[in-house]
Amino acid sequence: MPTEPDDDLVLTLRVNGDRRRLLIPANRTLLNLLRQDLGLTGSKHGCDVGDCGACTVLVNGAPRLSCITLAAEAQDAELLTVEGVAVGGALHPIQAAFHEQVAAQCGYCTPGFVMALKALFDERPDPTDAELNEVLGANICRCTGYTKILAAARQARERMNGRST
Amino acid sequence: MLPLPTFSVLSPRAVSDAAQMLTDHPQARLIAGGTDLLPSMKYGLFTPPTLIRLGGVSALQEISVTEAGGLRIGAGVTLRAVGRDVRVLSLYPALAAATRTIATSTIQAMGTLGGNLMLDTRCAWYNQSTFWRGALGGCLKCHSAPEGAICHVAPKGKGCYAAHSADTAPGLLLYDAEVELVSTRGARRVAVAALYGDDGRDWIRRAPDELLTAVILPPPPAGRVVHRKLRARGSIDYPLLLTAAAFDPDRGPRVVVSSVGPRPVELGGVAEAWEAGGVEAVAEAAYKQVSPLSTHVWPAPWRKKMVRVEVRRALEAAISGV
Amino acid sequence: MSEPDSPVGRRGGKIDGLPKITGAARFTDDLTLPGMLHGAFNRSPHAHARILSIDVSAALALPGVYAVLTGADLPTPYGVIPVAQDEHALAVGKVLFIGDEVAAVAAVDQETARRAAALIRVEYEPLEGVFTIEDALNPDKPLLHDERRRKGDTNVLRRVFQKYGDPAAGFAEADVIIESNYDYPGSTHVPLETQVALAQPHPDGKLTLWSSTQIPHYLHRIVSKVLGMREQDVRVIKPDVGAGYGGKSDPFANELCAAALARKTGRPVKFILDREEVFYAHRGRHPTRMTLKMGVTNDGRITAADFKAWAAGGAYASYGVVTAYYFGVFLPLPYKLDHWQFESHRCYTNHPPCGPKRGHGAIQPRFALELHLDKLANAIGMSPDALRLKNCVEPDTETSNGLRITSVALKECVDKVLAASGYLEKRGKLGPNRGIGLATSAYMCGALHPIVQSEMPQSAVQICADRSGRVSILSGTADIGQGSNHMLAAIVAGRLGIPETDCVVLEADTGLTPVDLGSYSSRVTFFAGNAAKMAADQLYAVMRAAAAEKLGGEDVVMLGGKVFRESAPEKALDFAEAVQLAEERHGTLGFVGHYKPPKIGNRFRRQSVGPSPAYSFTAQVAEVVVDPETGFVTVERIWAAHDCGKALNPTIVEGQIEGCVYMGVGEALAEEQSYTKHGLHRAPSILEYKIPTVFETPEIITIIVESNDKEGPFGAKEAGEGPQLSTVPAIANAIFDACGVWMNEAPFTPDRVLKAIERRDREARRASFDGA
Repeated sequence: MPTEPDDDLVLTLRVNGDRRRLLIPANRTLLNLLRQDLGLTGSKHGCDVGDCGACTVLVNGAPRLSCITLAAEAQDAELLTVEGVAVGGALHPIQAAFHEQVAAQCGYCTPGFVMALKALFDERPDPTDAELNEVLGANICRCTGYTKILAAARQARERMNGRST
Repeated sequence: MLPLPTFSVLSPRAVSDAAQMLTDHPQARLIAGGTDLLPSMKYGLFTPPTLIRLGGVSALQEISVTEAGGLRIGAGVTLRAVGRDVRVLSLYPALAAATRTIATSTIQAMGTLGGNLMLDTRCAWYNQSTFWRGALGGCLKCHSAPEGAICHVAPKGKGCYAAHSADTAPGLLLYDAEVELVSTRGARRVAVAALYGDDGRDWIRRAPDELLTAVILPPPPAGRVVHRKLRARGSIDYPLLLTAAAFDPDRGPRVVVSSVGPRPVELGGVAEAWEAGGVEAVAEAAYKQVSPLSTHVWPAPWRKKMVRVEVRRALEAAISGV
Repeated sequence: MSEPDSPVGRRGGKIDGLPKITGAARFTDDLTLPGMLHGAFNRSPHAHARILSIDVSAALALPGVYAVLTGADLPTPYGVIPVAQDEHALAVGKVLFIGDEVAAVAAVDQETARRAAALIRVEYEPLEGVFTIEDALNPDKPLLHDERRRKGDTNVLRRVFQKYGDPAAGFAEADVIIESNYDYPGSTHVPLETQVALAQPHPDGKLTLWSSTQIPHYLHRIVSKVLGMREQDVRVIKPDVGAGYGGKSDPFANELCAAALARKTGRPVKFILDREEVFYAHRGRHPTRMTLKMGVTNDGRITAADFKAWAAGGAYASYGVVTAYYFGVFLPLPYKLDHWQFESHRCYTNHPPCGPKRGHGAIQPRFALELHLDKLANAIGMSPDALRLKNCVEPDTETSNGLRITSVALKECVDKVLAASGYLEKRGKLGPNRGIGLATSAYMCGALHPIVQSEMPQSAVQICADRSGRVSILSGTADIGQGSNHMLAAIVAGRLGIPETDCVVLEADTGLTPVDLGSYSSRVTFFAGNAAKMAADQLYAVMRAAAAEKLGGEDVVMLGGKVFRESAPEKALDFAEAVQLAEERHGTLGFVGHYKPPKIGNRFRRQSVGPSPAYSFTAQVAEVVVDPETGFVTVERIWAAHDCGKALNPTIVEGQIEGCVYMGVGEALAEEQSYTKHGLHRAPSILEYKIPTVFETPEIITIIVESNDKEGPFGAKEAGEGPQLSTVPAIANAIFDACGVWMNEAPFTPDRVLKAIERRDREARRASFDGA
């Protein structure tokens, strides 16, 4: 274990299932790692200080605001971004519901909502409305009034639990 | 968009390593969830040459029952984990409630209990970008404030009134919690009630080489502790006013108010007020004692009125829970 | 016109919706070019100051810095409105607000660019600031724009006075006259994507500019002008845009400086604003002080109105000249008003500039007017809905200021929203601190007269049918999330009887797509939709003729991806076959449609702002709970009925209505551009500028009402702005119903509401004391 600080670090991680090894400066944020170093531009800069949720990704399954997370926190971690949610080209039920409900207007906040909801559904397959709201409350959408996003989240919940909508 | 200043990163695995690194790098800052530290660094509030990452120190991430029958919560336990822990929920519901009002659910999954207790004091005139503070002319809390900088909250004063904004502190204070501070010199315990200072610049009574490792809660008190947070919105926001009230039928009420100055304050004269006039008298005593300043964008006079309302509501809830 | 399986009126996903959900969408900041540099600004820390000197040497000396620009490099003034060319890409001579751009740097990365920008030394001579309307009207105060100096000049950009009928006589007829003052706050758009531009210079001297603009056409014109380039050498492309709400309607300094720095360095330059900088770029709602006097007869006829407005508009004009007109011209909508006048002042102040925000210029007077109607209804003992319905404009009429009114379904909107909300049963009966309120409104569907006067079409759409059966649609419209691409596809597909997913929309590229004036004033569906319809009609005619020849009869229809004779549906051609037949006969199938609004005579020649080919109508009911101890207002539910003409895609229309209501809730409850007395923004962040989260957002029940406008494409009008007008006054009227206080000043923050409640209680105590 190094005890002398290093300005650069070698980062090993898995991103959307792919193993990656990179040399990055220590002050790299996870969001910039994704966008600049890995070309995964789905996660967005909305506020850059952790207020809006547009940069939400999953680190070992837990939601994180990548704009205020050091890339170093992803050492040896499993990362999931919006680009990795549709597996084999098939939309995740959250994405299918977002499309059907037109829950994405401008779409800039959408990756963050999809990821935050994905974290919730992975942990609690049948969340209550209050739990959905807790997650929606972590992200800002300026277009939809959250109405269609909530509708999409509910639709995804119903479909994923085998209930018809 | 907003670059971070350059720094190096250290990633200890054990508490002792972390303590050693802190001794070796006195300018270093500790980072756990980073949810307050990194925005502050993006705003240029401070530029430490080194960050010591606590995320890899697994010993900080445990919750255990103490011999006394209380809980020891590692400083690195996430706020979300604290808020969901069945032992916390049953023994210290006001702590669980406080964690669930912090910022957003995502930030609760990132931030830690130790980080919350170590949260820097906040002020609407300080927590701004380098450009903004430059246009203002800086303030007393700014590390490189220009000559002649004043406090914009109390322009004639010499002190800093930046507001303590750690949501978990008032409740922990009423639970008579202590924190464990570790350095290469050893470990010591400090009551949460004694952890904070009176100036927004020098707001935590922790030696520079000390690391907060755990929160130790004694067995819960008789009666109920209630946490209330006044905020503009149902999520995202820092507190405009924090209130915690405890009611023990034998010992009467206790009330802590925070976010009105550099530290949470347990109100004096509560027992007397309670004897004299019950809840209303306690609320009135609180109103007289507590004077919020313009540390927040929302107006101080309204926040002062809210002291009475929030204390009354907190105390009523504590009593009704008995 | 639309059939059961037609794309017109079908619910659900947008044709271009999936990339935004999978992360594949490309916004400007997602684009990267080889050798790309990054821009950063040096901004003014003074609200009003003369620039004495600028020293860029330290910045230029920093390794990694390629170029620095100052105002002297880009001296050509510009502005969206031809009569108000008062902006420069970088300050020339003076700075006019805290955050005004002074110099721009291009460097190898953002960190270096920002560090270099901070190294630029600017010497200022601070000047007295103009921060209030009183200051702006005072001829003794310094002028922001020196060139306007004449004796007695003030910082008023534009004063408008218009009078119709005989207001004095109208007031004389009134049984009750009420006059009140109102204050509406400045607020800003906060699109989640900040302004981003990427400029690429070409070896032949041409330039491509990708930008997060909602008006590529004006940006194209102004970039060419400021850079001194021929318009045909500049290509503006709008990639996916993370919304605008009006906030990306002006050309911005980052766009102009990206272009200029790219030309100067010979390398691509990306120039992104950070979140704080967007609060300085602003162009949002004008903070407006208003006085409204209105009279009614005891039986509820509005007899006269006198409206005055003063707006503190910030440092530059932006669209402010137009704002001054919008303050007044929609007053006789949606209520008949024969005798009235208005006077408005749009002022300059040393603040970030205001401009167009959703419901531009109409939000503030609507707030005043709708509260006022409830006050008048109260005074004459009439139900607020009855007063509104009694005065409601009728279809196919003309307003007193000459606006041509065609389709109107306001009464239906009111009826539906009353029924859905239970307004009549609930009003006054919800118990203490719970209340219900109604408001209605009208808005335009695009401006009849373009900002830059011209007889040319204001929208054009080109379509090409490919032998595969795919139809490409080229349009200069700017989809910024509102769904205009889907709208174009639905119209073309609806006309041709094919699924809209067989259409491809290529939009907003001034190098490829025909001109469209852009996404503002709710014009896109009506204008570009009609242009698309016209192009599709031509293709339809050619294909139909070819199919008729082949199928041996004239009764040809195109439906469900098939082309067949109604009398012999079993013998159907595939759409692609029909395209091929038509191409054999006609040659390559490309058609251009355009839209020029009808020449509607107006007896008031001065009335160039306000006329629109059609108007949308809205009625909303809000139900609120007020905490009388804290002053917090919770908006629990809003019912919104909107006459959008025809919902080309009801899901998208609902989304527009919901978005409008949401933005209205934000302006009602907490959003405010607030400044220190020295002009420093108090809250330039999403943390401190209190836009609503899901927890402050009410349940929104949308009701689509279709009046099927005879000139709108498939009957469509607009849905993107009009529904916001009713929200704030509906909430204010609900607060009165809840606790008996008139909130004449927005936003209805806990502090303001609590003060109003305390005032109410003081007055009640005084009254009971006096009574005793």
